Amino acid sequence: MAVEAIAPAKPAVRYRDEFAWWDRVKKPLFYGVLVGWSVIAVAPFYLTVVYSLKPLTHLYEPPFLCPVPFTLENYLKVVTEFRHLFPRWLFNSAFVAGLLAVVRTLFCAMGGYAFARLRFPGRDLLFWSMLVTMMIPGQVTLIPNFLIVRQMRLLDSLAALIVPGIAGAFGVFMMTQFYKNLPRELEEAAMIDGAGWFTIFFRIVLPISRPALLTLALFTFQGEWNAFMWPLIVLNSPEKFTLPLGLSWFKGEYYTVYSVVLAGSMFNSVPILLLFFLFQGYFTRGIALTGLREG
Amino acid sequence: MRIRRRVLGEWIAAYLLLSPYLFVFLVFNVFAIGYVLYLSFTHFDLFSPPRWIGLGNYLYLVRDRLFLGKAVPNTLKYVAVVVPVQTVISLLLAFAMDQEIKFRRFFRTLFYVPSVTSSVVISLIFLWLFKRTGIINQILGLSIDWLTSPAFALPTIMIVNIWATTGTMMVIFLAGLQDIPVTYYEAAMIDGANRWQILRHITIPLLRPVIFFVVTMGVIGCFQVFDQIYVMTAGGPLDATTTIAYLIYKWAFQSTTPFMGRASAVAIVLAAMILAVTMIQRRLIERPTEV
Amino acid sequence: MKRFRLLLVALGLALAACAPAATPTPAVTREVVTKEVVKEVEKPKATVRLSGWAANPQETALLESLLYRCSLKNPDVVVKYEPITGDYWAKIKTLVASGEEPDIYYMDIFQFPFFVAKGVLVPLDDYMARSGVKREDFIKTLIDAFTGPDGKVYGIPKDFNTLALFYNKDLFAKAGIPEPNENWTWDDLQEAARRLSDPAKGVYGLGVPADAGRFPIFVFQNGGRIMTPDFKDTLLDSPEVIEAARFYTSFRAKRIGAIPADVGVDWQGTGFGQGKLAMVFEGGWLIPYLREQFPTLRWGATFPPKGPKGRGNLIFTVAYVISKNSKNPEAAWKAIACLTSEESQTVVLSTGFALPSRAKLAGHEYFKNHPESLVIFKGAEFGTPFMWGLRGDVVNDQMAKALERIYLEGQDVAASFRQAAEEVRKALKEQP
Repeated sequence: MAVEAIAPAKPAVRYRDEFAWWDRVKKPLFYGVLVGWSVIAVAPFYLTVVYSLKPLTHLYEPPFLCPVPFTLENYLKVVTEFRHLFPRWLFNSAFVAGLLAVVRTLFCAMGGYAFARLRFPGRDLLFWSMLVTMMIPGQVTLIPNFLIVRQMRLLDSLAALIVPGIAGAFGVFMMTQFYKNLPRELEEAAMIDGAGWFTIFFRIVLPISRPALLTLALFTFQGEWNAFMWPLIVLNSPEKFTLPLGLSWFKGEYYTVYSVVLAGSMFNSVPILLLFFLFQGYFTRGIALTGLREG
Repeated sequence: MRIRRRVLGEWIAAYLLLSPYLFVFLVFNVFAIGYVLYLSFTHFDLFSPPRWIGLGNYLYLVRDRLFLGKAVPNTLKYVAVVVPVQTVISLLLAFAMDQEIKFRRFFRTLFYVPSVTSSVVISLIFLWLFKRTGIINQILGLSIDWLTSPAFALPTIMIVNIWATTGTMMVIFLAGLQDIPVTYYEAAMIDGANRWQILRHITIPLLRPVIFFVVTMGVIGCFQVFDQIYVMTAGGPLDATTTIAYLIYKWAFQSTTPFMGRASAVAIVLAAMILAVTMIQRRLIERPTEV
Repeated sequence: MKRFRLLLVALGLALAACAPAATPTPAVTREVVTKEVVKEVEKPKATVRLSGWAANPQETALLESLLYRCSLKNPDVVVKYEPITGDYWAKIKTLVASGEEPDIYYMDIFQFPFFVAKGVLVPLDDYMARSGVKREDFIKTLIDAFTGPDGKVYGIPKDFNTLALFYNKDLFAKAGIPEPNENWTWDDLQEAARRLSDPAKGVYGLGVPADAGRFPIFVFQNGGRIMTPDFKDTLLDSPEVIEAARFYTSFRAKRIGAIPADVGVDWQGTGFGQGKLAMVFEGGWLIPYLREQFPTLRWGATFPPKGPKGRGNLIFTVAYVISKNSKNPEAAWKAIACLTSEESQTVVLSTGFALPSRAKLAGHEYFKNHPESLVIFKGAEFGTPFMWGLRGDVVNDQMAKALERIYLEGQDVAASFRQAAEEVRKALKEQP
């Protein structure tokens, strides 16, 4: 393309004329900001790791950066206390979060596409009602939703977590915003070729939506993995618990045995962090490989 | 006739695409919200059937010291501070990340760490860090009662929330920045635009839907802040951290005699407030477009 | 399109996979018997569900061992334990509202009035009569507490606690003062706190939290009450309460007492374990905590001091109740009878952190070796149940806030408690 041939040389010269000072401070400034925030973001976790490896009597004692005196007591307590149920909780959490990450992302993309591209009666009303539903706090819809799930005979089963979660206003809203920004050229070309809406969506739109889909899947997984309030209300049997629910056993009314709580929290955080590190590869590549970036 | 059929086909396609969401929407949202609206006109203690009291709950709210004097101002303060601060920080970080820097992936991963952790775990960690004898005071050489003094408790929860959500927003902004076609920049450069002009006339306008999205999610999240307060302060000390969302929970579930109806009325008021704020900021940020 | 259909099939399969009949884990197998199994075998086995909160691992272990004993004794009753984590009362009220509550559940005396007023519990007198369980078998204050306004018993107390004065022996030795005894008065308490305190080192004589679960003992020792006997009015602005509050808050004002935040802890038990608080008023729950977390700490416990009007204490107690919705109240009663039998209550006693509700166990040998448990057990003799009527949450809330206003905002004691009383009256006047 012609643009590419000209672009590198000329504008670069212009920059130096007017914003030379900026180029000098830019790099150190950005690195400073990035390193600074990295420390802020990670320090609490680092401290959690360190102090979960110390005995309770050293809960506030320096040194901050290394676990001295060292003990594995807290972790052993968590593991031995729940050795039978722990793998079960881990599985339940991973199963629900994984399934919903796939299902909800797909369903939300479908809904978002309909809102963004298709014209149909009731669209505006539905879209605004959807926005309104996002504004009602979960604590209050809890009771009616509990009654519905009971009516469906889903109480005390993982299905009680899955059925209400197959789609959500947040996801549909996010995908709507995404599709509104997506250039229409590809779809218009397909439409001229006589393709139907479903063909366009599943064959053309869905593949190029990968960055948004992966982002939404990541959010969904993370949200479901950490969900507490709803599972708390609908699950009764310990063998059906998800991980956060199981771990909440550590929070007794009077027993704030912090070192153990810190160790327990690592069991909740580490799997999701590991998954995020693994998933991040796809996540970044998804953005890089997409047809959205030209040039 | 042919056009007619195409239009009809579009309607059917739209509703088929929307059907999974519509199921959840109708069953778990419309019914639930209708029910909450109905409850807001009743006295309902969970154990006896709801009793119709008309506007009783709303009239109670306009006279209640806890709601008007504490919950509403606390919530507004919280939103007014947290939303702008977290948006600006995450936008700055996203700009920094969008440059040609080394270790971009590494940084992004670190920034996102707080976002993947459950709010309950985060609250527990900060409850420990913010103790008077805790590590934050030790590092700063202070002895502030972060979470147990009425003056500091709410700002402390603000700090925790900003810390926790900035990473997510940064990732969304970064995705938005990287979605802006490079050709736009190139074209602008050829036209002789400087960096400031590019930022003002290309980056920001193209980023508008993303900003709208981030601010909307931020506003909704802040209005509904609950977990951190539940774990860290339980609304205290002296109601300094009692927000509207916490008040709903307190009246619905923490009273020995539950006041579900009154809590529902608060929920309706909260929803109306969020809706109003969202519409105002939509006017301000996004140019009026069709839905 | 094909992919989409495949996903739908996958979803269907996944939903089927997580339908209620999941395989139980080995740990709970003995408690889990699905209905299908019962039908197939056709044995006269009844399954009842039991829910309680899991306050700590020791308590869960205690309940599980009791359930195991009872399963041997009553082989025809299977008790499925469903612990509730998080907010117990929010969940149990939701479950009751939808008729999904377990057959048996824990009932705290604080929450009891509302459940009784709403008629969601089964009266137990007939069951007691049939199985020969008498009111007199239990400590009077406890069984009276779980008696409804109609004179019927609605809950069998499972255990209880009162407050004792826990003290750090090393700090007393260091200060060179004699350890507290049961004849202590308010003056002795104050004098000891003064000599034990060293604010420069972050050590304070007495824990005086803004906690509605601690402060009232001073009101009782001063001859006062929190509520009128019919719970229709509060006495938070009575001279007895205000005088008690003056004394209670004077500790922190003179820097010879502290609230948990002053010493950087959530709960004063931790501050006591760390040697930052020389004396605290706590219940039996502190004992296993100290043993586990601070095994080297040398501590003792005695009765709270006598006030100007004698002794006073708080009784924290929890009962087993049977739900009106229970399909099998007979089996539920069998389980409760076993869990509160003398044999089970002896096991409760041996754990050390909760006291048995059976009056007869007062003479048990365990007390000889554990004087601190005897102190807490005997506290029931002059104790008042921790219960303030249908709006107890407001009373607690306002009492704590009255103390907080004095502590954190320097408000006048009398004015602060008058404000609290006014708020409580406002709540009581509401016609719910």
